[in-house]
Amino acid sequence: MVAVLSSCLSLASAVPFGLPFALAYAPEASPIEQIADELGANGLPYALPIHPNLVHLTIGLFVIAIAFDVVGALYPLEKRVFRFLALPITRGGFHDVGWYNLLACCLVTYLTVAVGFYEMLTAVPLPGVTSTFGLGSMTTMLVHGVGGVLLLAIITAMTVWRGFQRFAWRRDMGRQVQWLYLLVGVVMFALLGLHGTLGAQMAAEFGVHIAADQLLQAGADLNTALP
Amino acid sequence: MLELLPPLNDHNLPWMDTIHPIVVHFVIAMALIAFVFDVIGVVWRKPALFEASFWNLLFATGAIFVAIIFGQVEAGLASPYGASRHILDIHTTIGWSLAGVLSLLTGWRYVLRNRDPEVLPATFLGAGALVSSLIVVQMVLGDRLIWTYGLHTVKVVAAARAGLI
Repeated sequence: MVAVLSSCLSLASAVPFGLPFALAYAPEASPIEQIADELGANGLPYALPIHPNLVHLTIGLFVIAIAFDVVGALYPLEKRVFRFLALPITRGGFHDVGWYNLLACCLVTYLTVAVGFYEMLTAVPLPGVTSTFGLGSMTTMLVHGVGGVLLLAIITAMTVWRGFQRFAWRRDMGRQVQWLYLLVGVVMFALLGLHGTLGAQMAAEFGVHIAADQLLQAGADLNTALP
Repeated sequence: MLELLPPLNDHNLPWMDTIHPIVVHFVIAMALIAFVFDVIGVVWRKPALFEASFWNLLFATGAIFVAIIFGQVEAGLASPYGASRHILDIHTTIGWSLAGVLSLLTGWRYVLRNRDPEVLPATFLGAGALVSSLIVVQMVLGDRLIWTYGLHTVKVVAAARAGLI
């Protein structure tokens, strides 16, 4: 205890204008201990984490929304090819996918982020692990948490933007979306990919909410603990 | 021959991360939202949702074959243990079956759309509900492989290599 306090104090003194007493405080036990009895081996009060399943919807819906708007935007180039398909195709149909998928993505992502925060508050990452990106578990979780809120904000803004294009600005136009919108969408692919990789590292590398990893860390024998 | 294969990393994979879970985003999200759009389209009489649903279903059907290819490679490298071997078997069987089921559903939808894109019979909604339930079962099985048994996680791969599992 004294050692912890003194190391905290030395850390605090290294902060030139911070609040030294904020860093000097060392809790007896992690707050998660208060609900530890209610949590299973995976660190959750239920069998399987929900956030990664909602993520399927967020990523799938967003990517396909933008992809179909791109296909709709490039329709004049494609229609010569579409003629050879025994498939009735309209440009508006592609943009319908672009709009409704993004709307669904926006709605479901509020749940994705909310559940994500719950499951991150109950996360117990494996100690001493550094990710493929060279980050520790706390940094990974902070970036993933703040990044998740930022992505939600961008998705919401893009949904409003998409709605204005569909119902007001470009209502009577064949190409329902602006090129800038598609560009922002493609940049978002990269951000979502990076963000998703951080999330995947929380599972596969830091073992967050994975029963087998947590049991191994606790010294259990998986042959008997997970029959 | 074996030395010609790429080396495996600490996830026991020849590539950085599992790819199967990334590809299944597009099967799960597109197939489930197709059913949701169909239901809302029928209830609110919005044919534009039927169009969005059709394309989502078509995309899900294309994506499931890619998901199966990566799923088979990564299942082959997963070294499952205990009950996860059994779960992986069922997950594989349902996965291949779903490829057939989704193809049939999409074929049926293609015929319906060619006849009248603004109408959807209740029988198709029923089939959509059944297929969606099958997808949810398949998701739960896949979830158990990663979140309960930790297949392809660094910790479990290390334990398997050390002979602890």
